[in-house]
This record gives sequence, C-alpha cells and structure tokens, in this order.
Amino acid sequence: MRPIRYLVTVNYRIIIPLAVCGLIAACSSPGPVIDTTSPSFVGDMPVDFSGSWERDYSRGEDVQGALNSLFRERQRQVQQQQQYPGNSRAGPQPGMSQREVNSLVALAKLVQDITKPDVLTISQDDFEVRVARDDDFAMSCSFYDGIARGTDSPYGTEVCNWAGNTLISHLVLPESLLITNRFTMSPDGNYLRVITTASSGASRTPFTLHRYYIRFEAPPRAFNCIETLSMKRVCSTGEIEP
Amino acid sequence: MRRVLAFIIAALYLTPASAQLNISVTTFDAGVPEDYSLHRDLQVFPKIRQIESMFLPFVLRQSLVDSGEWGAVRVVPESDDKAEILVTGTITHSDGETLGIELRAIDSRGQEWVNTSYTTSSSYEDLFAGFIRDLQAVQDSLDQQTLRSIAGLSMMRYAAALAPEAFGDYFEASADGTYRLLRLPADSDPMMARIRRVRSVEYVMTDAIDQKFRELYEEVDSVYEIWRDYRRWYTNFKLGEAQRNEFAQIDAEPGSYEALKNLYDNYRMDRLAAQEQDKWAVGFDNEMEPVIRKMEVRIAEMNGWVEEGYVEWTRILGELFEIEGSLE
Repeated sequence: MRPIRYLVTVNYRIIIPLAVCGLIAACSSPGPVIDTTSPSFVGDMPVDFSGSWERDYSRGEDVQGALNSLFRERQRQVQQQQQYPGNSRAGPQPGMSQREVNSLVALAKLVQDITKPDVLTISQDDFEVRVARDDDFAMSCSFYDGIARGTDSPYGTEVCNWAGNTLISHLVLPESLLITNRFTMSPDGNYLRVITTASSGASRTPFTLHRYYIRFEAPPRAFNCIETLSMKRVCSTGEIEP
Repeated sequence: MRRVLAFIIAALYLTPASAQLNISVTTFDAGVPEDYSLHRDLQVFPKIRQIESMFLPFVLRQSLVDSGEWGAVRVVPESDDKAEILVTGTITHSDGETLGIELRAIDSRGQEWVNTSYTTSSSYEDLFAGFIRDLQAVQDSLDQQTLRSIAGLSMMRYAAALAPEAFGDYFEASADGTYRLLRLPADSDPMMARIRRVRSVEYVMTDAIDQKFRELYEEVDSVYEIWRDYRRWYTNFKLGEAQRNEFAQIDAEPGSYEALKNLYDNYRMDRLAAQEQDKWAVGFDNEMEPVIRKMEVRIAEMNGWVEEGYVEWTRILGELFEIEGSLE
C-alpha cells in the first residue's frame, strides 16, 4: 500500500482529512489514499448504480471459504520458504502467530456482519451515492464537482473515491480499523460486485471478501407512503403528493 | 384591474395610520449556504430553514405587538426601506437546541437602530425580547421631534415614489444612503391626502399578507415544535453517546472481534441516528410543503395586486398633480 496522502484545502475541507489523519495517526498501518481537493471525475458520476440488488449465492465467497484460502496461501508461502530459505530476507515472515490468526478471524467475522444484508438498495443523484442495507446504516458517498466529501463523525469517517468505473468507499474507524467496499457493475448493468476489505492495526493481513449481486425490480408497493412529523408514516393506495 | 380600482375607491374611506412608529418585519434570510456540500456538515436543512424564515418573523411581530410600544407591526415578504422602521433578520443557527438570528433595524432616515446577533437556548420569544429591549432603548433615546420626522420622512419617501414631481424635493438623500426631511406639506394638501389614502390601501393589502403569515404560523407551530423536540432529543442523544463512549470501559483485547465490533457499532449507531434525523426532516418538509406552496401563491397574488395598483396609482396621481397645477 502507498503511504497516506491527504491534500488539505481551506475551510471545511480541512476537517475530514484532519479527522481521518487523526484517526490514522493513532495507528501504524497505512490508511486510504484519497485526494479531497481535486475531482475524481468530471461531469456525471462514471456509473449509475441506482436500483435494487440482491445477493447472487451462485457466485462469490463465503467467509469460511475466504479464510481457508487465505490460510492455505499462507501455508503455501511457509512451505515455499522452508524449501527456499534464501528468499526469507525479501519480505516479512509468511507464518502467522496465534494472535495474528485471532485478529484475522476477528476481521473476517466483522466482514461477515457487514456483508450480511442480502439486498442493497442504491439511490444516486448528482451528488451522492447511497447504499441502503437492512439493519445497518446507509453507506454514503458524496461528491461535489467531482470532489469527494466525507461524512465525519466522532466515531469515524466515511469517504469515497472513484477508480475508473469502480466506486470505492472507505470507512476509517479508530484503532486503525479500515473497511473498504469496492463497487463495480458489469457492463450490461445487471451484476454488481462488491469487494469488502477490512484491516486493522492488530493484523498484518487484511481480510477480503467478494460478493456478487443481481439487479432486480422491486415489486410495486400496494401503498404509497410518505413520512410526516405529526402523523408519522402516511400511506394511501392512490398518489400521495407532499 | 377591478380589484385595484376597488382598493383605490376603498382608500377614500380609510383613516391615516396611528402616531406610534410602525414597524415592517421582512421575512428572514434563511441563512442557507449556497454551497450544497456544507448543508449536511453544518446541520442545515434548507427547506426547514425556509419555513423558519417565514414564520419566525411572525413570532417577532407578536412580541412587538405585545410590548405595546409600537404602532402597526407587519410581516412583509419584501424589504421596504421606506418603512418607518424596517427589521430584517438572518438565521445563523437553528438546531432545535439553539436558535441564532442576526437582527437589524433601520429607520426611514437610513439610520441603523440595532444590528446584533441574538441567540437563545430556551424559547424564541426570549431571543426576540432581547431585540425588543434594544429597539426600545434606541427609541427612548430619541426626542419626539426626531420620532415625528422618522414618520414624516417615511411618508414623504413613499409619496415621492408615487408622485416624484410633487414630493421629490421634500427630503434629501445622501450618498451614504441616509435621508433628511427638509419640510412637510400642509395638512390640507389635497395631493398628500390622496397619498395617505393610497398608503392606507396598501396597508390593507399588507395586513392581508400579514394575515397569511399568521395562518402559516398557526399551521406550522405545532409541527415545528415536534421538530424542535426531536432536534433537542437528537442533540442530547449525541451528547449522551459521546459521554458514554468517553467513559465506557471496553475490556475486549484490541484487534479482537468484540473490540472491532464495538468500533463499528459506535459509528453505525451514530450514522443511524443521523439518518433517522434526515428522515424526520423529510417528514417535516412533506407535511409543510403544501402549506408553504399555497401561501407563496397567495402572497404572490397579493403582491401582484399591489404592484398593479402602484402603477395605476402613480399614473392617476401624476395626472391629478398636472390638473391641479394647471388650475393654480
């Protein structure tokens, strides 16, 4: 990973990078590289993800499988190192301590929790991509004139960027906990791949999980509803005009 | 046009305004930053601010009326610098817990009475009480002659706007935006009598618009209170969460699932609360939008009548001035 680089401008734009840097400063592992001063796209957002997406169980990984392949890869590296010990100086030791195994399993369990929702409802306008999930907050990616604008809270910072046609959402939490979701849509617009990666200061190895979703048409609702303050949710079988 | 003529005829039967200084309170500047990207971070809900900018002036109006120290107090949709006293305001902060408004009062001479930021964490009547005290203090510092000249200058500036040939030289305007009354027409001046009647007619319209703001206030007030209660709850919730987290003892080992989950859940709960707040704001907008839309249409209609009337009054008064001049 490249080192942290936050370009800071005046006014509010200082807040998020500083907050993120502050959070990252408390940790030893690098955080995301997000430029919050120059646009990551010009004009419209590169991809419109709007729509309802349901999990495609025929593709993607489950957490246990992803963990197993990670451990198998590590085991292969260890064996390779034992066969060719001269290469050991080239990089870190591939073996894992019990503590690191525990940390990796913890990351995997967290990713499992985060990726549990089977349905993603994505809404998108000129400024924001919003990914609504059951039982969790809606991920939000805001851009103004193509420049990423993070969501800052005392408990973490959410900030996004575009890498070509991939939307990358970074959630930076205390203690170097970093959760990244990469959203890529198939060219025909029917499939969505979400790669979720979690890393923390306690583990040298990040945990990554691939999930796939299929676009579906949400069935029309029997009622049209709007939220109100005094009457809460008001529903009607006809049109409701606010 | 028929309506305009009806107002002109009605003017013949109306009486002049009272001796106390009249106050016009314009709808406030909502104080919404043009940069959309700042709205969320500054906790500014543009549509709610718009509603606040329309109904808070009415609360101020009520407080001014209740003080009993002023003449007619009207909420007007647009700034009128010919008013005896014009009050303008900009909402600087409104989160249910704290309300901040910059209030400015100038008189018809262009002299500033008050230009101060007021904040309150209790009722907005408290905030306006502070402003009214300041306004009152300025009034108390002025002698009767000055107060009369403010009223007179307001009338002459109004008259000059309608009949510049007749009344343009009764006052002088300085480059710094201030005005000075030079003289007043005779009480028996027939042209002035007509101007007074026209102004009274305009006041009838302004009062009708003011009535619309009263209706808005009555419709918005209860829903706005729910919103304020919610915002107070939300602010307290955030404070409580911050305190809970500050003093919470997390025994979990760093890097363990429990520790990671705790970090994630803190953020999750914070975002869920913020998103719930957004939902409430949408609920407020949904509920108030038809009311605001109806009111804006009605005010635009009434303003249209007044503007139409202005054109017609100016023409008629100009013709009368010419006829009277040729008779002398």
